[in-house]
Amino acid sequence: MTEKIAVAVAENLINLTIDNREVSVPAGTLVVNAAKLAGIDIPVFCYHPKMEPVGMCRMCLVEIGRPAIDRASGKPLLNKDGSPQINFGPKLETGCTVPVSKGMVVRGYTEEVTEARKEVIEFLLTSHPLDCPICDKGGECPLQNLTMEHGPGQSRFIFDEKIDLAKNVPLGDLIFLDRERCIQCARCTRFQDEIVDDPVIGFSQRGRALEIITFSDPGFDSYWSGNTTDICPVGALTTTDFRFEARPWELQSHASICNHCSVGCNTTLNTRREAKSGGDEVIKRVMPRQNEQVNEIWICDKGRFAHHYTESPDRLTQPLIRKGDALEPATWDEALQLVGDKFKKSKGKFAALAGGRLTNEDFFNIQQVTAKLGGKALLDSQMAGGEMVAQVGVGQGTNLSDLRAGDVVLVIASDLEEEAPLHWLRIKQAAERGAQLIVANPRRTKLDQVAHRLIRYEYGQEAAVVHAMLDSFSPKRPDQPASVKQLLRDESVKAAAEDVQSATNLIVFYGSEGLDVAGSHTLASACANLLIATGHVGRSNNGLVAVWDKGNAQGAWDAGFATSVNLADDLAAAPNLYIVGADPVGDRPDLAETFEAAEFVVVQELFLTKTAQMADVVLPVLPYTEREGTYTNAERRVQRFYPAISPRPGARADFAIAAQIGLALGLELESKLASLAFEQLAARLPAYKDLTYGKLAETFEQWPIIGREDLYYGGTTYDNTQGLGVQPPSGAERGESPALSFEALTDPEKRKGLLAVPVTRLYDLGLTVTTSEILATHWEQPHIVLSPADAEKLGLELGAQATIKLNNMQSPVAARIDNRVPKGVVLVPRSVGLHIFGPAPIEVGA
Amino acid sequence: MNHLRDQYGKEIEDVLARYPETQKRAAVMPLLYIAQREDGYVSTQDMDDIAELLAISTTDVASIVGFYTLYHDEQAGRYRIQVCNDLPCALRGADDFLDGLCDHLGVKPGETTPDGVVTVEAVMCLAACDKAPMFQVQSYDGIAYHEVQTVKSAVKLVDGWRKEKASG
Repeated sequence: MTEKIAVAVAENLINLTIDNREVSVPAGTLVVNAAKLAGIDIPVFCYHPKMEPVGMCRMCLVEIGRPAIDRASGKPLLNKDGSPQINFGPKLETGCTVPVSKGMVVRGYTEEVTEARKEVIEFLLTSHPLDCPICDKGGECPLQNLTMEHGPGQSRFIFDEKIDLAKNVPLGDLIFLDRERCIQCARCTRFQDEIVDDPVIGFSQRGRALEIITFSDPGFDSYWSGNTTDICPVGALTTTDFRFEARPWELQSHASICNHCSVGCNTTLNTRREAKSGGDEVIKRVMPRQNEQVNEIWICDKGRFAHHYTESPDRLTQPLIRKGDALEPATWDEALQLVGDKFKKSKGKFAALAGGRLTNEDFFNIQQVTAKLGGKALLDSQMAGGEMVAQVGVGQGTNLSDLRAGDVVLVIASDLEEEAPLHWLRIKQAAERGAQLIVANPRRTKLDQVAHRLIRYEYGQEAAVVHAMLDSFSPKRPDQPASVKQLLRDESVKAAAEDVQSATNLIVFYGSEGLDVAGSHTLASACANLLIATGHVGRSNNGLVAVWDKGNAQGAWDAGFATSVNLADDLAAAPNLYIVGADPVGDRPDLAETFEAAEFVVVQELFLTKTAQMADVVLPVLPYTEREGTYTNAERRVQRFYPAISPRPGARADFAIAAQIGLALGLELESKLASLAFEQLAARLPAYKDLTYGKLAETFEQWPIIGREDLYYGGTTYDNTQGLGVQPPSGAERGESPALSFEALTDPEKRKGLLAVPVTRLYDLGLTVTTSEILATHWEQPHIVLSPADAEKLGLELGAQATIKLNNMQSPVAARIDNRVPKGVVLVPRSVGLHIFGPAPIEVGA
Repeated sequence: MNHLRDQYGKEIEDVLARYPETQKRAAVMPLLYIAQREDGYVSTQDMDDIAELLAISTTDVASIVGFYTLYHDEQAGRYRIQVCNDLPCALRGADDFLDGLCDHLGVKPGETTPDGVVTVEAVMCLAACDKAPMFQVQSYDGIAYHEVQTVKSAVKLVDGWRKEKASG
């Protein structure tokens, strides 16, 4: 039994008997779960341990008896032998809807129960097509398994009376429905409604005619849709990605970590060697892997479907060296020799720029090279504050699932469902459990729906909101600008400050909505100060969380990288550039001049990006799916991923390349085994002291028990057998006193025209998304979002083409109109080819 | 653009006022009555409008339309004759009655007469077995029972509607 379950048991025990076995479980536990905890399986279809019970499928029928009580005396009636007399009801009861009670006796083995299960299966199969041989679920199907175990083997229903229903119904672009296979358990519709609050699928009709429908436009379009295929107990819902692609028993499973955002969802990559890919191993699907402290058993659709870049034929497989105008293939020896020679001479004139998807081992080795050359180690990101998260980030043992009444979560400057979907989900659930949720953002976001307190501020006042909260209960700083003074009078700010002061636990999430790097730094510092001032640092379930733009940004900060406040200047100042996993020229065409002027540019990349095209040496790398490594998520959890498929010949892991370059500089860095590179890192970085690959691979039993042989219970999510990761102590927990400055604020400048502010969209036009054709209709095209008032003034209608002038770049965009956008502000999405790096004046023309 | 609100603003306001601010979705039933009253069915546009008014998803509204047999999502005749032909009614001649009525009107169960006046439907129990053959008539603004019927009496009823229609 897990530690966590054991703790819960100690609180309020109920003793009962299930199948002649004595069981002790916490009060409120449902009979099916009590049985599960005792290792006894009661079959279910509609029940799911993450959702409210509905008792629809009747598969969990059991005999339930309760001690008879003498009405006069209120004492239990006894049999002649002194044992309590047990009254069994006249009918079977559904184990999924009945909570345990004292002295209860549950029998799941009697003839009556066996017969009932047989009949339920017979009913469920009245019109089921039994097309298991061509069904994607075949082999991992709860209906198939339970039919084999409990079914009658024969049906009394007439074959010709089976109803033929549509088998290929696209509910949306990503999910197909087979109406014949559906057993009407409502797991999918309840998931979309209860869990992710996106009720775009529903039931229509009733009885035998009951069917799943969507009337939404465009269809089943939800960031969470893939999860419904995991919990569907039959093959009714399948993804377009995996449909007809492979049989489950042909697949290999490899533990991995999603690096699209900084939640760090645990995943399992299913791979297969197949003829159509020339005998190569291919990733067939991405599945969630249970980690109740990170992603529970869910992943978002971006994590599930945006994996196809691994198999892209455009990937680089050979080092390239510039000969005149062209980049020409070269051997690794030639390329490394050249890079080593050039870097050796670049002392003091060197800078490294690395992307947030690299591993901790990569960052460490690159940082060592950079330090040796006296250069700056820059992180390619739009956010800052990682050094503060390292100090006052959430403490060891933090689990968002533990937050409840009395605890406070503050989310500021983030459209959380777009930036980090799983954080949105888990904070929503915390709010529903009773944790006080304060959402501060200039416009309405989906998280507002469950927030207890909303703070609206103007773009540019992010840090001022936090300062005003601080000032409301501590001595007012004399040098505060007018915006802080004005926010101090805001009732919602005052009330939020009171919430924060009385919080048992406090976690602050800060995002990047409307911010540039400097603004992000100021906001992070303000949030860190709020946490310190209220004593909410250095322990579990308290601290600062950055909603990073990439999966391992925190790891970069921990290894000594920092985001540049002025990237153009920093790059221009260093004529020798080492660019790893970043495409600055692609993101900002104005940097092309800097790269043209640079003396020597080395780019380590998967693809020949715009930056790589301007490089002197291009070194091909392995994606994370073909190597191993570790990532540190936004909650400071260090997690390990494993290679899923064989490395594509010719490419090398980033840490290995950096180590080989280091060799020329006299550095002894690990170039072969990621585990040894991690050992070196752990020896040098206090934050990672004592961590090893072995520790990161440790697991303990989690609840609910999921993904084992009994697929019917929790779905096809994978059980976590290869590591739950470790949250090492934060700086504050190690006793370091945070070296924090208190950033003085200034009021946002008065402006005349429209202000463009950057916002993040889940499906941007980043390379990892655009290499997944399956998401094509979801790719965000270049667009802006305006308030109705501004749109009217400009004569723009919904969907109209407009031209914007932003940071000296003119771009055609589609205009969207949204009444949630404040007047005078234009939302400009990041990473869709528009020139936005922070709030900036914008001209919009029809 | 919310056609329902534009058309029935005051009435919708009155309906919404009956429910607490946080339970507005409960008003979906009366709003569907309003929507169906106009053309005898709830169009997708109506569902969108109601979803917008109540801040729920169109799919939620469609689920409710689908669940209740007396909400319709397709246009049919001005009057829907819903004949019960369950076993007790059949024993009292409901099947023959239905066939006779259909023959006379030149339609099959489920179909609408070419002039758009009548749709004939066979339905499940209407709780009047002892008065069979019987049917209920669902028109745009309500439901009425017609018990102990013959084809002749039913045809007379239909002729009355047709006359009504002809006279505008």
